[in-house]
Amino acid sequence: MVSLDFTDMVENAPCGYVSLSPAGRMEYVNRTLTGWSGHTADQMIGKRFSDFLTMAGRIYYETHIAPLLRMQGSFDEFAIDVIKADGQRLQMIANATERRDTDGKPLSIRLALIRATDRRRYEQELLRAREAARTGERSAEVNLQREHETSELREQFIAVLGHDLRNPLASISAGVRILDRTVQTEKERQVIAMMQTTVMRMAGLIDDVLDLARGRLGGGIRLNLDFGKPLEPVLMGVVDELRLASPGRIIEAEFKIERPVNCDGQRLGQMLSNLVGNALTHGSSSKPVIVHAETREREFELWVSNAGQPIPQAAMDKLFEPFFRGNAHASRQGLGLGLYIASQIAKAHGGELTVSSTSEETKFTFTMPLSPEARTSGK
Amino acid sequence: MSKVLERNNVHIQGAGAKAMMFAHGFGCDQNMWRFVAPAFEADFRTVLFDHVGAGGSDLSAYDRAKYSSLEGYATDVVEIARELEFSDAVFVGHSVSSMIGVIAAEKAPGMFGKLVLIGPSPRYIDDAGYTGGFSAKQIEELLEFLESNHMGWSAQMAPMIMGNPDRPELGEELTNSFCRTDPDIAKAFARVTFTSDNREDLARVAVPTLVLQCSEDIIASQDVGDFVNRTIPNSRMIVLKATGHCPNLSAPEEVVSAMRTFV
Repeated sequence: MVSLDFTDMVENAPCGYVSLSPAGRMEYVNRTLTGWSGHTADQMIGKRFSDFLTMAGRIYYETHIAPLLRMQGSFDEFAIDVIKADGQRLQMIANATERRDTDGKPLSIRLALIRATDRRRYEQELLRAREAARTGERSAEVNLQREHETSELREQFIAVLGHDLRNPLASISAGVRILDRTVQTEKERQVIAMMQTTVMRMAGLIDDVLDLARGRLGGGIRLNLDFGKPLEPVLMGVVDELRLASPGRIIEAEFKIERPVNCDGQRLGQMLSNLVGNALTHGSSSKPVIVHAETREREFELWVSNAGQPIPQAAMDKLFEPFFRGNAHASRQGLGLGLYIASQIAKAHGGELTVSSTSEETKFTFTMPLSPEARTSGK
Repeated sequence: MSKVLERNNVHIQGAGAKAMMFAHGFGCDQNMWRFVAPAFEADFRTVLFDHVGAGGSDLSAYDRAKYSSLEGYATDVVEIARELEFSDAVFVGHSVSSMIGVIAAEKAPGMFGKLVLIGPSPRYIDDAGYTGGFSAKQIEELLEFLESNHMGWSAQMAPMIMGNPDRPELGEELTNSFCRTDPDIAKAFARVTFTSDNREDLARVAVPTLVLQCSEDIIASQDVGDFVNRTIPNSRMIVLKATGHCPNLSAPEEVVSAMRTFV
């Protein structure tokens, strides 16, 4: 049988151990606590335990610990700070029990104290973090609400503006068409042609603004899915238009669309137009722009590439954000909505639009699942 | 039960014609009176309650603005007393509730005929020519320190504790089953308790008053007790042998017999 040295077990326990009279005076303190605190047993015995506490600790002892010990006989897991001989604080967690006689009269109070410097620091950090989080939450809520109101207003504004701009533009367009019928001189013909180009450009910009408003008003861009309708003629039409509009530039097109694509053909045409327009604006004017579209087993891929200066890394992150404009000549700049709208169209199709850019080529690639079933199971 | 009585978790016992109302101090609830109140049940109608924010009171009634001064607590005392039609009643206040009773007695003349103030202090923070026992900085430290001692409180437990004040067995697995308070409210109550100054109210106390002063009370010292006894016009003081700040728990017999000489 192991012989146990109880005196040593208490004296050198891995915790401070104290016994108090019912009135709170120290009757015993173990060696562990005298070692931690720097007070000798002689200095402590006979004094009130609360004499060795911080003022806050004393108040807490008198208003909480002492009454609770009387009421429930024990009090666990309370924080208490002992003032050491050198004036420093010894932060501790303690349990206390009240020993009673058979009549319930208190005989003594025992406390076990554990050093808890790290734990208390951690608790204080948690409390501070909670306080900061509460403050942050409150201001974030306010900000979010304000942001929400502002953005709603802004988007409604864009939507209204888009519609209100279209009507006067339609009048101008109709007027130009009437004038075109009675054109007399070559000079007049040139002016009319210029006005028609401008009206078309303006109409394109308004469409972009409306798409932005739609994309941002929550619902995203809505699609008119025309499953089964051939996609190739739509895309070819876009390429032909752009070839006509950019004489002197080469646009190579390779189409291998062998399966039906469940998509909104007009929207994909718009995306292609934006991508090719972008390539013509930013790419090398001496190299061709290549358009490639093909169906694979489960997906449809469309990519547009051009040669020229690569896109700077800093610009890559913002490329698909609305109103982002690269370093094109001011005269050729639009609103900076082309790629944003293209990416929204891609998103509406359950696909994605990605970009890679090296010194050899810059390539925008759109991929989408061929059918809605593939959309859920494919990825 | 009326709204007011429910709000303050009022418990009425005893058979006497006159009422004796017991008000707990900072740190606990009406459980503080468990060894004292029963001794008066034969002669008085004993009324125990919890201040709003403490014990089994209705936490939803806690109004930060109202309870930012002792006045708010005194208003509740008067409301309870009015509800129970007190007249010439005895008010027994421990610690901060001594001053709450002083304010209540002034608010409603005739309602309380006698005051018993246990460990009273009209002001805890030292002032020019006055020793309250604490510096403003020490009180700030106390408020900070209270955050380290949540009294086993957590938001999940609150409904269980508060919803069943009469069924303590539900709280048995909890570390401490008495005197739990929402830590934010505890801190606010500590602030109003330890930063109040009611010295001027003392001279206006119009009813006979008994001050029970503990030996070696670091919360309310002998000097402070003397100040209270000297300033209240019709007051006498009994110095108890009991030490500490809660003689109602540590020396209930002594408190009871001292009170009997007065009531």
